[in-house]
Amino acid sequence: MPLVIPGMRFAHTTVDSIVSCFIMLRILLVTDTEKPIGELRDALSQHGYEVLGDVASPVALLASVERQRPDVVIIDTESPSRDTLEQLAVMNGAAPRPVVMFSHDADQQLIRAAVGAGVTTYMVDGLAPDKLSPIIDVALARFAEETRLRQRLADVEQQLADRKLIDRAKGILMDKRGMSEAEAFETLRSLAMKQGQKLADVARQLIAMADLLG
Amino acid sequence: MSPPYPHANINGSDAPEKPNVRLGFVPLTDCAPLVAAKILGLGRRHGLNIELVRQPSWAAVRDKLLSGELDAAQALYGLVYGVQLGIGGPQADMAVLMTLNRNGQAITLSNRLSEGLRQGRSLRTQLAAQTHQPVFAQTFPTGTHAMWLYYWLAAEGLDPLRDVRSVVIPPPQMSDAMALEQLDGFCAGEPWHAVAEAENIGRTAVTSGEIWPDHPEKVLACRRDLVALYPNTARALTMTILEACRWLDAPEHRREMAGWLSGPGYIGRASNLIAPRMLGDYGRTSAHALPLRFFADGEVNHPYLSDGNWFLTQYVRWGMAASSVLDGHLAAEINQTALYRQAAAALDIATADSDTRSSVLIDGRRWDGSNLHAYARSFPIQHDAHAAGHKAK
Repeated sequence: MPLVIPGMRFAHTTVDSIVSCFIMLRILLVTDTEKPIGELRDALSQHGYEVLGDVASPVALLASVERQRPDVVIIDTESPSRDTLEQLAVMNGAAPRPVVMFSHDADQQLIRAAVGAGVTTYMVDGLAPDKLSPIIDVALARFAEETRLRQRLADVEQQLADRKLIDRAKGILMDKRGMSEAEAFETLRSLAMKQGQKLADVARQLIAMADLLG
Repeated sequence: MSPPYPHANINGSDAPEKPNVRLGFVPLTDCAPLVAAKILGLGRRHGLNIELVRQPSWAAVRDKLLSGELDAAQALYGLVYGVQLGIGGPQADMAVLMTLNRNGQAITLSNRLSEGLRQGRSLRTQLAAQTHQPVFAQTFPTGTHAMWLYYWLAAEGLDPLRDVRSVVIPPPQMSDAMALEQLDGFCAGEPWHAVAEAENIGRTAVTSGEIWPDHPEKVLACRRDLVALYPNTARALTMTILEACRWLDAPEHRREMAGWLSGPGYIGRASNLIAPRMLGDYGRTSAHALPLRFFADGEVNHPYLSDGNWFLTQYVRWGMAASSVLDGHLAAEINQTALYRQAAAALDIATADSDTRSSVLIDGRRWDGSNLHAYARSFPIQHDAHAAGHKAK
C-alpha cells in the first residue's frame, strides 16, 4: 500500500512540464523517528534525485531548508520536527517546500486533512522505493498548483483592496472639489499616467494627503 | 460509589452517546488537567472511558483531531482559531469546550541578553548591536507562544516579523539550541524555562502572566461536529476536566501532579524542575509573575468570547489573516459557552454573567473584547495582510 493521493489524476497532467523545469531535484530526508526514512537515500539517488544530508533534528532542518533549499522534504507524520515545517510554511509564504509525509496508517481523512498544510502528499508505510519517483513528481505538481492558486487569490484580494482605495480617493475629490464621479476618476487616471504610477498608488497618496490636511 | 450529581443523570438521557474518548496531549506542565482526569479516573462517574495519547507535535494534534483519530485534545488556544481560519493549513470548524489554564508560560533569553537587561540595556539596543540576525523560537505559527512572543517583542519596540527571525523548535530542544548559540530567546510552556535556568543556559526574562495578566493558554478542543453529534459526551468531558482543574487548585495536589508528570510517559524531567513554578515559585526572577491557574472557582475555565477574539485581532495585526475575519461571530461559534454553563451548573460551579472580560496588557493597552477592528489596528507595530514578513506599517 504505497500511497493514496487525492487529486492524483489531476496533478499528473502537469507533472511533465514541472519536472522538466528541474535539472536535479534536491530531496531532504528528516530522520528523527524510528521510521526508516534514511533507507530511501540509495533508491532516490538511483532514480536521479540529489539527496541532501539527512537531518535528525528541528535545528538541523531549519539550517538545511535555509542553506540548501530542498525541493522536497520527506518526513514522518510523527516527527517532532513537524511544527518547525509548519512555521516555515506560514512565515515564508513565498517559498514553502512541498512535503511528502509518511503516515503509519492509510486513513483517508487524515490524508485529506493534511493536504494543504504545506503538506503536499501523504504516503503510508511500506516505503517501496521504486514507487517514490511518481509520488515525488505528484507532490511537486500539487505544490506548483497550490502556489499558482495562492498567487491568484492574492492577486484578486489585491485588486479588491485597490478598488477600495480608488473609490475612497474618488470620494475625496468629489467631496472636496465638487467633482462628478467621472471627473474624479479621470483626474486620478491622468495623474497616474503623468507620474507613471499605478492608479491605486496615486489614490493612496491622495488619501494620505487628505488625512494629513484634515 | 460517588454521590450522584443532582443535575446529571448518566443512566438516562444525559448518558454520553460516545463513552470512549481518545484525548491527545503534549507533554508540558499544563497538560496536568488531562493527566489528573485519567489517573484519578474522573471520567467514570460521568460515563466516560478516557484514553490519553501523547503527541509529538501540535501539527499531529491538529491532524488527528481533524481525522477523528483523537476525539478531543489539549490545544494551544491559537491553534484552534488558526485551524478555524485555515492559516497555513487545513480549515475545519472547531470547538473550544473550556479553557484549561491561565498564565504559566514564559520567555527565556540567553544569559548574555539577560545580563544586559539587568544592567539596564534594552533588548532593542542589545539586538541592534548584534552582528547576527536575532533568532527567537516559539512552538506553533498560530499558537499562544508565538502571540505572547510577538506581543512582548513589539512592546519592547521590536518588529517580530522583521527585526528577528521567528522559528519553531520543540520545547525540549530549545535549551540545547540556546546552549549552541543558535537561539537568542524562546517562548514556550514549562518546565522548559525552569530547565534552561537549572542548566544555566538562559534566564526567564518575563512570564506570560506579565505580558497579559491572567491570559488564557491551553484549551480543551475538538471538532465542532463532535459537539453536534455527541453533545452529552462533550458535556460529560467538560465536567470531567472541570473536576480535574478543581482538584489541581490544592497545592498538595499540584506537588503530587508534578511527581506524576516527571514520569517517562509524560514530561520525563525531574519533579523539582516542574513543581516550583507549578506552585508559582519562580525563585529570584519574575517576582510579580501571576501564577499558573487551573480553576480559581471556575473563573479560569469559562470560554470567554473575548479571549478567542483576541487571537483573531492578533492574526490581523500580524498580517496572518484578512481583517474581514473580525466581522463575523467566529468566537461565538467556536467557544461552547452554553455547553460550558450546563457543565459548570451540574457541578455547582459558578459561571460569569458575561462572556467577555477586560484586561490591561504589558504595553498598557486595554482589551475588553469590543471594537475588534479598532483594537487590531491600534498598535504602532503591525503588518498588512499582503506584506506579512516584509515590512511594517
